[in-house]
Amino acid sequence: MDYNGGSVIAMLGKDCVAIAADLRLGNQALGISADFQRVFPITDRIYLGLPGLATDVATLYERFRFRVNMYTIKEGREIEPETFAHLVSSTLYERRFGPYFVEPVMAGISRTPTGKIKPFIAATDLIGCLNFAKDFVVAGTASQKLYGVAEGLWEPDLEPEDLFETISQTMLNAVDRDAFSGWGAVVHVITKDKVVTRTLKGRMD
Amino acid sequence: MDHFPTNWGRPRNDAHDAYGTFPIPQRPQNRVNDSFSDAVQRTQQPIVTGTSVLALKYKDGILMAADNLASYGSLARFKDVQRLQAVGSTTVVGAGGDMSDFQYIQKFLDELVIDEFSAHDGHDLGPAEIHEYLSQVMYARRSKMNPLWNSLLVGGFKDGKRFLSYVDLLGTTYSASTLATGYGAYLAQPILRKEVEGREDTLTEEEAKKIMETCMKVLFYRDARSLDKYQFATITAQGVTISESQFLTTSWSFAEGIRGYGAQTQ
Amino acid sequence: MVSLAQQQPIQQSFNPYTENGGTILAVSGADFSVIAGDTRQSEGYNIQTRYAPKVFKLTDKAVLAVNGFAADGNMFVKKVKQRLEWYRHAHAKDMPIRSIARLIQTMLYARRFFPYYVYNILGGIEEDGTGAVYSFDPVGSYEREACRAAGAAQSLVQPFLDNQIYFKNQTPAPGTSFPQHLPLQTVLALVIDSFTGATERHIEVGDGLEMYVVLSRGSTALQSLQSIRGVQEITATNDGERVFVIRKELKKD
Repeated sequence: MDYNGGSVIAMLGKDCVAIAADLRLGNQALGISADFQRVFPITDRIYLGLPGLATDVATLYERFRFRVNMYTIKEGREIEPETFAHLVSSTLYERRFGPYFVEPVMAGISRTPTGKIKPFIAATDLIGCLNFAKDFVVAGTASQKLYGVAEGLWEPDLEPEDLFETISQTMLNAVDRDAFSGWGAVVHVITKDKVVTRTLKGRMD
Repeated sequence: MDHFPTNWGRPRNDAHDAYGTFPIPQRPQNRVNDSFSDAVQRTQQPIVTGTSVLALKYKDGILMAADNLASYGSLARFKDVQRLQAVGSTTVVGAGGDMSDFQYIQKFLDELVIDEFSAHDGHDLGPAEIHEYLSQVMYARRSKMNPLWNSLLVGGFKDGKRFLSYVDLLGTTYSASTLATGYGAYLAQPILRKEVEGREDTLTEEEAKKIMETCMKVLFYRDARSLDKYQFATITAQGVTISESQFLTTSWSFAEGIRGYGAQTQ
Repeated sequence: MVSLAQQQPIQQSFNPYTENGGTILAVSGADFSVIAGDTRQSEGYNIQTRYAPKVFKLTDKAVLAVNGFAADGNMFVKKVKQRLEWYRHAHAKDMPIRSIARLIQTMLYARRFFPYYVYNILGGIEEDGTGAVYSFDPVGSYEREACRAAGAAQSLVQPFLDNQIYFKNQTPAPGTSFPQHLPLQTVLALVIDSFTGATERHIEVGDGLEMYVVLSRGSTALQSLQSIRGVQEITATNDGERVFVIRKELKKD
């Protein structure tokens, strides 16, 4: 899991969610790239972060893209975040005894049958065990550090701008204490009508 | 620092002849010239072992319990072994682990008590002192890589104060209002904590013994190295009492209904 | 055939170390220090006791927190206290904290090849009246810092402290600057937040929290300390430095 390094975190806010990931790609301790994207848009309202083995990140992203496209064609509608989470889970569990070395983190906004919106975050382990949290989910080589900082900084019902500040501070301070993560970060804040993406400068050591 | 001048200035590695003096000169062997010295026997694993010891604090003092079994591997080898030992007049030491090491501990604790008595200086060793001494011995032996392979509970009552503490082969110590060693830490400690925590100052001896008996019963049912024959020790203002061995009344009728547990023939 | 150095029988099964969980933390202020630790002692999934102190008052100006292998920790504290008593008898005063720090280094390094498996954090008041924190590794490398976490939840707590104490990754509002030292109330709040956070996410942390506060002569932090519920003074001398301890409950699950 720490061959290439990298970390992702997602947080829940008031009618919004945020997902952040670092930009480092490494070969063990050697840094290779400082603009490695490990967060991918799945639909207009769902983002998926894939920390772990970089080759599996690429493979899995393509598999998810394929499966989501098939879903969209068959169902004639966009996939909901909850459904997508289960798709991720079952895709990973198919490889129960020879897993992809990836711990996906998802963030999205779902629509309830009554037309309301509900922010959504989830994460799974490398074999697809789902974790739906009501606060934040973390994964990757800096996961312990992310837990510690998030537990101290996060609070319920943050507005989008405050959520952005919280998730950014959590990400930057956690990866600064991790040798395998860092080299900048990218943050997506998803609200009901738009997604704001910002790239953060981070320490380059 | 090498204290043997004959070695000074010579290569450290006996196998490497840095000065080309082949054949490699023989060095003095700086060892004790004793034919047994390179075959010192050490306790590297326990042989004859005792299982759990339990202890709790109650209104009037400390209650401890341990069964009478000393096992040799899976063999129930000795069935009348006392694993609770009075040390002085205010302390009981209970032992799990290697029984020969425990006998050694008993021996030096008894000597210690006699030495203290002989001094006749108006001081006697209370449970806190015994525990401190024991933990220093246990820690010193682990530091020599030659541990006394035991988990010990020290219970006592002195100057109106209850004392209950643990020490093991690594020298690790701790105290709490309920303690259990071995399997007791898994099976009995949850029961003890539930029944005792917060009630230490109101629990009567009768209630305490009932709780303890429940725990010993649970251990006898599930710990394969345990026995239904056990002893209590109470340490109160009245001093130390170690009971006669008593038996647990257990019921195995449930086993009839379970295949592989009871006496089914097929 | 040349005979090689004869082989000693070697130990295989006995491991003289274990890990007893828990976390410690220290933060220094301008004229005070806070040294804290949880009180849970565990081995594997077993909680051995809910109250085993890891933080010890050495003098009225130095408090030592130890974390790692509990038996080594207790022995180490015992030996440091003994050396400090000898110093007191020889010099008729308490050893200054920077000297205690150097003493701890030599004591740890003396056991370089059979180390005390203990992470030490020393907090207190320097001779010039400033708050000090020294942190050590098990073999004696040390440095003076403003804050340090160690133990099971070090990786959870330290980045939080970087952010909240060193203001890492933060920029002050235009025309302002971040304080060099935080007031005692803020520090105590951060320490409590750190431990409740660590308790939430780490199984080896919890049960109780002990926070030692060391104030330098005439420290202004005294007022804010007296308003705290359950604070207990444990000063022993009249040198001017004062030591307090604050105990709090943490979650027990």
